[in-house]
Amino acid sequence: MSADPAGPAAPDSPAPGVSGTAAFGPTLPAPTPLGRTAEQTWRRLRVPLALVALVVIVVSALVLIRGDRHEGSLDPRSTGKAGSKAVAQLLRARGVEVEPVRSADAAERAIRPDTTLVVAYPDLVTDAHLARLAAAAPARTVLIRPDEAALTALAPGVRAARDTSGRELDPDCRLPAAQRAGSADVGGGRFDIGPFPTATGCYPYAGLPTLVLAPAGPGRDTVVLGSGSMLTNDRLDAHGNAALALNLLGAHPHLVWYLPGSGELPPADDSLWDLLPAGWRWGAAQLAVAAVLLALWRARRLGPVVAEPLPVVVRAAETVEGRARLYRRGRARDTAAELLRAAARERLARLLGGDTGEAALIAAVTARTDHTSAHVHALLYGAIPESDEALVTLSADLDALIRQVRTT
Amino acid sequence: MALTGRAVLAAAIGVLVVGLLLPSLLGLAVVEGLLLLGVLTDLLLAAGVRDLTFTRAGDTAVRLGESAEVTLTVTNPGGRALRGRLRDAWPPSTGTTTQRHDLAVPAGERRRVTTTMTPTRRGDRHAHRVTVRSVGPLGLAARQGSHLVPWRLRVLPGFPSRRLLPSKLERLRELDGRSALLTRGAGTEFDTLREYVPGDDAKSIDWRASARNQGVVVRTWRPERDRHILVVLDTGRTSAGRIGDIPRLDAAMDATLLLTAVANHAGDRVDLLAYDRRVRAEVRRAPRNGILPAFVQAMSTLEPELVEPDARGLAAEILRRSPRRSLIVLMTGLEREAVQEGILPVLPQLAARHEVIVAAVADPAITRMAAHRGDATAVYEAAAAEKELAERRTTAADLRRRNVTVVDAPPGELASAVTDMYLALKLAGRL
Repeated sequence: MSADPAGPAAPDSPAPGVSGTAAFGPTLPAPTPLGRTAEQTWRRLRVPLALVALVVIVVSALVLIRGDRHEGSLDPRSTGKAGSKAVAQLLRARGVEVEPVRSADAAERAIRPDTTLVVAYPDLVTDAHLARLAAAAPARTVLIRPDEAALTALAPGVRAARDTSGRELDPDCRLPAAQRAGSADVGGGRFDIGPFPTATGCYPYAGLPTLVLAPAGPGRDTVVLGSGSMLTNDRLDAHGNAALALNLLGAHPHLVWYLPGSGELPPADDSLWDLLPAGWRWGAAQLAVAAVLLALWRARRLGPVVAEPLPVVVRAAETVEGRARLYRRGRARDTAAELLRAAARERLARLLGGDTGEAALIAAVTARTDHTSAHVHALLYGAIPESDEALVTLSADLDALIRQVRTT
Repeated sequence: MALTGRAVLAAAIGVLVVGLLLPSLLGLAVVEGLLLLGVLTDLLLAAGVRDLTFTRAGDTAVRLGESAEVTLTVTNPGGRALRGRLRDAWPPSTGTTTQRHDLAVPAGERRRVTTTMTPTRRGDRHAHRVTVRSVGPLGLAARQGSHLVPWRLRVLPGFPSRRLLPSKLERLRELDGRSALLTRGAGTEFDTLREYVPGDDAKSIDWRASARNQGVVVRTWRPERDRHILVVLDTGRTSAGRIGDIPRLDAAMDATLLLTAVANHAGDRVDLLAYDRRVRAEVRRAPRNGILPAFVQAMSTLEPELVEPDARGLAAEILRRSPRRSLIVLMTGLEREAVQEGILPVLPQLAARHEVIVAAVADPAITRMAAHRGDATAVYEAAAAEKELAERRTTAADLRRRNVTVVDAPPGELASAVTDMYLALKLAGRL
């Protein structure tokens, strides 16, 4: 710490070391604060704050107004294209009590002996829940595009086969409901009922049915649908979809429409958050607060960064380097060789007494060295080097010649 | 406001409290509430930053390469003790290593903090602002604010060749030493008569005076005094070129200062002119004992301008400032185009009336490049460097033909070379 005590401030005596240096620094403490007062800050921030408040209010209102909308596919409360509110309304008009549920527990509680149970996405239901639904013994179970696990639990003996694309198919079976409805959009999953002779297969495609009615005990049966598209609001009015849906789902006075909810995802899909013990979820929230505080702490600078204009940096040798690169790129061996030779001639002439004539210089150099005059002429006035290597050799030879002249 | 590390630590401890003791929204609310309460308490109870007053004292000028100290006195007029940190912000080239200080000022007292600076560039440096962070009693949060406390630190040219001054003055004394060896010539003036001592030139014996005296008397001569010298700094584009890490202009300034110091000692009057397309700085008729400070102050804020110098305007300014015969020392470049289209046409009218020295800063890198061998790249570079050197020699020869003395030396030797040339001209009586 470099602060040293300077004694209590007396109003009539200047600070030590201040008097006499009035050239640039003020001697009297003048009010010097920068930055905004609280009032200025408020005046500056009130418009953005009002905008933020407005956005929050509008978004909250929208959420509240739209809160009761359902948009899931095969949801009996949804009015969207993929929803199934239309078929639910038709069933209600025919006196069937439609009860949408979002959990296996609720479905199990709602099931009565005269209940039709529709399972919208059986592959999202855990095996344990499927077994409990089977044990609850509804009068009819409708499985929409089940996977192998759901079939094993609720329609043992029926096996899933290779899928076909969804399309309109003809009934082609003895099932009265299918015969009355005619062609319908049922294509999708196909099923193998070979090991289950009492089951009825309808709407076959390439030999395998896409709709199966399988008896499941006294007075109970299971309907397996290869596709739920005929139940959607979008497709219900096409072909015999509506008739088939009403015949299949309206056979009993009570209908439980089970649409598995997000809370029932199998444990393998649990997020890290779900795996945390409940108490530490709050701890993690506090950790996030600490992280935000850490960011705020480190982000606050002690005053702004000071900028200053920098001088232009021009390297004095830049033009020479640029010219060297141009020579190299242009393979200007002639120019380069001539420059090197001229420099060598000048140096030699200086060493030998200033006579720069060609013949005189060659004669003087030959006299001082053991080279022949032809060799010296070739070095100092010779041909343009054939390659870059020859140029490098020439420069080395010229250096050697100058050294030799200098030392003799 | 600003948060402190302690607030973050408190929040981190809060993780344990929430996780272990109160794992609920309530626990989160309790911890956050306590934190907020602590932060608000700190903000309320921290000493005010707006009401602080500041005064500065200390160095207002420093030579490049040396260190300066500026002290800042913080007075806390409020009723609460101030504890926290202070930053006295200066531009980066001021070279402040101690910008941040811990600060503790009791209520009603004042404290001094000292900022040490070692500037890296010439010119004026202005204090940016003083920022104070006043931490509250709990150490969780701080009030922060800035004050503008102006101060100017003028960074003067370095004058690294000052170390050569004693040897140059010694040479001057030899030359000015009333020695009888110096024979009469143009530009010398009669000094004194003194007794002959063995070794004196017999030609310098004053026979008439000897006849009037008992012994043999010789006349001594000394160089003429009170000559006028005008040093001209070219601040145009060629002066911006950097050799090593310093601009040519700074090397020229160094040479100017050494020459001025020696010439001033020799009894000559030195003026300064810095010019590119207009007069950037000038010193005229500075008092003899204050000439170096005047030069240094005038040069300290000079920066190279990226413009082509106006040679005609320069010549006019020089002639206006030198009514009688003077020594003009022109610190400029020896680049062929710049000289041929610049000063070469105007030099005859200058050289006709004055003695002219053209001093140029040579680049040792180019000499090194010319001697470098190895691969093809190096040889091409050597060829380009030889071209540059040959052009410089040609340019220098052109100038010499116009009766101009040329000094071409690398930055480290320029000051010495220019001063030697001045002494040689003085000895030869050409001033």
